[in-house]
Amino acid sequence: MKRIKVSDIVPFAAFIVLFVFFTIVSKGKMVSAYSLKMLLEQSILTIITACGVLFVVAQGSIDLSVGVNVALSGVVGMHIATVTGQGWLMIPCSMVIGLIVGLFNGVIVSKCHVPSFTLSIAMLIGVRGVVNYIQTIIGIEYIPESMLFVTTSTFRIIAFIVIALIVLFVFEFTRVGRYSQAIGENETTARFVGIPVDKMKILVFAIAGLMAGIGAVFSMATVGGTTMTMGAFLEMKVAMAIFFGGVLVTGGSSARFYKVILGSLSITVIVYGLSLIGMSDSQISESVEGGLLLIILFITILTNRHRASRKKAAEAEE
Amino acid sequence: MGENFLEIRGLDKFFGPTHANRGIDLTVKRGEIHGLIGENGSGKSTLLSQIAGLYRRDGGEMFVDGEPYDPHSPIDANRRRISMVMQELGVVGNLPAGVNVYLGRTGQFSKFGIINMRKMRREAAGQFEKWGLDAPPLGQMTDGMMIESRKMIELARALSVDPELLLLDEVTQSLSLNNRNKLYELIRRFKDMGRSVLVITHDIDEMVEITDTITVLRDGQVIGTVDSRKTTPDEIRMMMVGRELSGDYYRADNAPSYEDEVVLEVSGVSVPGELEDVSFELHRGEILGFCGLSDSGIHAVGKAVYGLSKRSAGDVYLKANDAHIVNPTQAMQSNMGYVPKDRDNEALMIHASIRDNFCLPSLTELKGAAGFLNPKKLGKLAGEMRDKLSVKCTGIFQPMDALSGGNKQKVNLGRWLAKDLKLLILDCPTRGVDVGVKAYIYSLMNEAKRQGIATILISDELTEVLGMADRLMVMKDGKVTKTIDRGPDFTEQSVIGVMI
Amino acid sequence: MATTEQNTKRRPWLFPVVFVLVLAAVLLLFNIISKGLFLEWTNLKVIISHLIYPCFIAWGFCFLFACGYTDMSIGGVVVLGSFASCIFGNWYGLSGVVLGGLITGMLLIFINFLIFTYTKIPSWIAGISLAMIYEAIAVFLKLGKTTKPLVSTALATEYRTLGQLPWSLVFLAVGLVVIYFLYNRTTIGLNIRSLGGNRDVAEKLGINVSKTLLAVGLITGVLIGIACFLQQSYAGQTTVKTGLTSINLIFQPLAIYLLAQIIQKRINIIICVPICSFILYAVFNILTVLGVPSGTLQEAFLGAFIIIFGVIGQRKAKGVVK
Repeated sequence: MKRIKVSDIVPFAAFIVLFVFFTIVSKGKMVSAYSLKMLLEQSILTIITACGVLFVVAQGSIDLSVGVNVALSGVVGMHIATVTGQGWLMIPCSMVIGLIVGLFNGVIVSKCHVPSFTLSIAMLIGVRGVVNYIQTIIGIEYIPESMLFVTTSTFRIIAFIVIALIVLFVFEFTRVGRYSQAIGENETTARFVGIPVDKMKILVFAIAGLMAGIGAVFSMATVGGTTMTMGAFLEMKVAMAIFFGGVLVTGGSSARFYKVILGSLSITVIVYGLSLIGMSDSQISESVEGGLLLIILFITILTNRHRASRKKAAEAEE
Repeated sequence: MGENFLEIRGLDKFFGPTHANRGIDLTVKRGEIHGLIGENGSGKSTLLSQIAGLYRRDGGEMFVDGEPYDPHSPIDANRRRISMVMQELGVVGNLPAGVNVYLGRTGQFSKFGIINMRKMRREAAGQFEKWGLDAPPLGQMTDGMMIESRKMIELARALSVDPELLLLDEVTQSLSLNNRNKLYELIRRFKDMGRSVLVITHDIDEMVEITDTITVLRDGQVIGTVDSRKTTPDEIRMMMVGRELSGDYYRADNAPSYEDEVVLEVSGVSVPGELEDVSFELHRGEILGFCGLSDSGIHAVGKAVYGLSKRSAGDVYLKANDAHIVNPTQAMQSNMGYVPKDRDNEALMIHASIRDNFCLPSLTELKGAAGFLNPKKLGKLAGEMRDKLSVKCTGIFQPMDALSGGNKQKVNLGRWLAKDLKLLILDCPTRGVDVGVKAYIYSLMNEAKRQGIATILISDELTEVLGMADRLMVMKDGKVTKTIDRGPDFTEQSVIGVMI
Repeated sequence: MATTEQNTKRRPWLFPVVFVLVLAAVLLLFNIISKGLFLEWTNLKVIISHLIYPCFIAWGFCFLFACGYTDMSIGGVVVLGSFASCIFGNWYGLSGVVLGGLITGMLLIFINFLIFTYTKIPSWIAGISLAMIYEAIAVFLKLGKTTKPLVSTALATEYRTLGQLPWSLVFLAVGLVVIYFLYNRTTIGLNIRSLGGNRDVAEKLGINVSKTLLAVGLITGVLIGIACFLQQSYAGQTTVKTGLTSINLIFQPLAIYLLAQIIQKRINIIICVPICSFILYAVFNILTVLGVPSGTLQEAFLGAFIIIFGVIGQRKAKGVVK
């Protein structure tokens, strides 16, 4: 049977420790139904976006453009819905625009061999400029009345669960996930075996883009419309959530779906927990968040060290 | 100055629970070419690494020129004029070749902290010239260079400390025949100068040929030391495995045996810079061997057939499936398999589990409705293959890198045998594995042949191709120069003449 | 093999010459577009004085990236360093400006390096965490609620000479020479680059990895420290960044570095950095002259610029790209 490795436990342990800690210091406020609901609602956007990025990270690449992608697809999708008067267009348009941005990323990375880090930083700078420009012209827009149902938490939670289950299936139980992990483990191997590496790369960036488009809908649903800071630094939050959950930057078989969920929840627990105990002051909460991140990442890395040492021992035996 | 340059007594080395070296006694005389041989995991590289200062020993004593010797780093070893060319180390790609020769010791060229690059390049070129080796362009980054050029840079690096004792760990396997000969010449010069060489190679014939003395290791212990002139490859093989090898190491028959049905038609394939107008047919149950010098294009044939390289002309037609192969994905889905030369870097996912490595090429066949991959199915396939090939492991979820080289290669090969193959391409399938696994791989090849699988066997080891192939194609400069059928002409002499 | 190696070797001067010619042509074109405004000395002065501190940060990136680190907290470090430069400058004069920025920059980068090296957390993620911490400290210093904030005024004008021409240009010129030799012609420079190229090999050749990494930390620290006080001297005032917006500060230097990296195969990267920053700010300048709004479409140009250069630079790239 499969043995459970220490490194697999860390994300669980981190989450439980954080949760219990804040439950105790908030004198039990953390476990109230309201708090738990808030916790989930505050995590939804991160998890949805992170679900897409997970595929990219599994391949050992990174997509830092999802934050601006959320902004772009949200702003444009909403504008189309407002202009045409067809409120429902907001959802498909956001998704399509997210997908197009993702496809663009994928093509540039796989066909032009631009490192994903460089590309997505460039997108992060450039697309944000475009979004700001658009917003200086069209301003903030609100969700049309016909679509207000998306702002209810029932809708958001149900939609979230459905989407999460689909991602779980695709990542863990189909070739898309397996091949992505294989590419992360060793791209040359993947290519030599016959995995369509280029297509897979485009596909995962497209998935990340699509999920960002869906994320845009959730983002707008949470606040009731677009904002000037939509999706700002979401990509950093997403990256933190993924690596916080114990996924290694090299991706491969360390990339797992449950880690994304745990990582995102842990980060929300920190932010929300701090606000519960009256430390929502941005400077304190920011520094505590940063410090805790460092510590937990350190533990994750530490428990993954056996990977390196094992390799050394194997080399020595040769 | 005594007769013995290096003396090792009772050397011990542990890696966690593994006792890698057990009480090793070894003496290297001045002017002696000393060979070290043993199966994978017998502790040869570990021993060399300790002499070169890469690992600290856990017990025992070492003496150089009669004085106690305990190197803390390779630099320490260099000071005592001992240097090593490691098996799989390589060079730093983003630095010029010349800098690579002196990396870590660049201080000797600096004046007021500024390095004189021209002087460093000149001295590096001097090293190549002094030992009669071909120098790669020394001002260029090593990134784009061929493996062989990089190996030569590593060799120059080791030689640049003017060593009294040169340690060579599996150097020849990445060299072409031409450079191999230059290396042999270099080793002879070392001997003439009264210096010593301690060399590891898997090629037993080569070992017997170039060394004076051979020490055989098994399970971290010295089994015996023999005089190269008074021993035979068979005797050494026996010492290595500790038992007499069974007779069917290679094929016993002496005539081609395959069916008439053509599986693969390769016509006029050209790959710029690698292959030129290569054509052949492959039949059901046939083993077609390819041999030649390492840059003759034999490895490119495997890649081209599997659709991995961009062809400028020609066609690869898998008749059995009526498919024209243009990319590796299509090849994988057309009942073809490819075992590349570099096991750890090209073939396996060494951090992933044994199961994932076994299942990777078969995922398309394993998927169910809506693309569902049932973990039970994956586990079943991996479990069956592990049992069939008796891969030594603690379970199918054990990571690949915990396995020994031979077991890794079993997985590498086994994952293709799990499929319903028509064609299998093997590029150096026995590279870096020990004699026992080697024999096992040959038996697997025979079994595949009986099942009607057509095999392309590409190998640097001529004896292997001669031992296993039905037909043999000799290559030179990207072209096929001769095709020989299994029979009386199947001898090393008849092939080598065409190869060079 | 030999022939291809010779082909690329034959005319190493060709690319730089073509490059300079194209550059000159583009600048002339800019001049024509802007009806002669672009090449006026006052305008050039604006460009040059603006590019100097990002240049030092980009050089810092050269060393950081050379050993495989990406430090996202440098923006936060620059904010804090600038504060220190401001406080000590107003207290002790010019020496305070220099030492305040330099020491703070060095210290913080050194702390970052200790964290990167010893925790083995992927640097850019650790950098994000550190950026959060540094931002919080900056907020505390500048906007303290209960006490009077420590950083309340701008740096006095008389102490801002270092950030103005011609002094800043002197810094740039000296920096270029020193860094060029450091990166290309010293043992420590080569050792640093070998770590980035192949850490395993470097280690086995007896290069002391931790020592080299600490040297990188020190060098980067000095460079970022210089950037800190140049920034403060140039701008006089530094705004507080929160919610990871400090990362925005490094986008321009990062873009410079990425551009430089793309053409480094032909021109040494250390020399590329000032050239690329000049190109970058010249483009920004001409866009401003043409009335393209800054902060929005100009950023879009920057992004497109990096992608296009990235595509051109990787045109013939083979092998694995992540």
